[in-house]
Amino acid sequence: MQIFDIVSRHNNWLAVRQTAVAGNIANANTPGFRAQDVQPFEMAVEQARLAMAATQPGHLSSGPPDAPAMEVRRENPWEITHSGNNVSLEQELLKAGEVNRAFRLNTSVAKAFHRMILTGSRV
Amino acid sequence: MSDPLQATLKIGASGLQAQSLRLRVIAENMANAQSTGRTPGSDPYTRKVMSFESEVDEAASANLVRVAGIERHRAPYRVEHMPGHPAADAQGFVRLPNVDLVVEAADMREANRSYEANLQAIKQAREMISMTLDMLRSS
Repeated sequence: MQIFDIVSRHNNWLAVRQTAVAGNIANANTPGFRAQDVQPFEMAVEQARLAMAATQPGHLSSGPPDAPAMEVRRENPWEITHSGNNVSLEQELLKAGEVNRAFRLNTSVAKAFHRMILTGSRV
Repeated sequence: MSDPLQATLKIGASGLQAQSLRLRVIAENMANAQSTGRTPGSDPYTRKVMSFESEVDEAASANLVRVAGIERHRAPYRVEHMPGHPAADAQGFVRLPNVDLVVEAADMREANRSYEANLQAIKQAREMISMTLDMLRSS
């Protein structure tokens, strides 16, 4: 079932994004701190390749397939204070709300599909 | 890789701790806004300021926040002419703390606001965890 795979992958990406947002909020008063964000999910999905199976310890792997979701990029700030800190609390809380909404949608979709499968198996 | 949501809670907690320490320093400054020395020519209370720094947590690969240190503010003391005061010098001048209550009040509001923002991040992470757990619940 591809839907469960994409839901869990998106939720993982959202959790990483929430970590980035929390880091920005915690460092809102740290001099010189630059706000961070994760790469867009579309990019993370496109870059995800199938991992090669390693049956021997000497086999080379092509790297973890979910690595791009963890990559952090600089982001365009709303404001920069005198100390060089460019965290805007409003922007971060907006992002946190966005993450929360998307997460809720994902879990609801997964739940609905799960219910469908259960209904099918009961017949 | 550790759980990003657990890392979020950890970051939020570090933010709460840093901001509450900041509030403590502000309270100290406000309480001592009139504290002079006891002997002639002695120094009054000096305003304290704290600074933050970012600390990378290796295990969670997250940006925690840490209090870099509490320093003494370098602004000059206020001087008032109060002959007879225990701390007055030969000319009758008393040195008062370099604390400005308006600045402290503004700083307090900012600390409050940052604390709330951290709390919100923690709340949302917890909500996300409970949403995940809700998927297991049969409906």
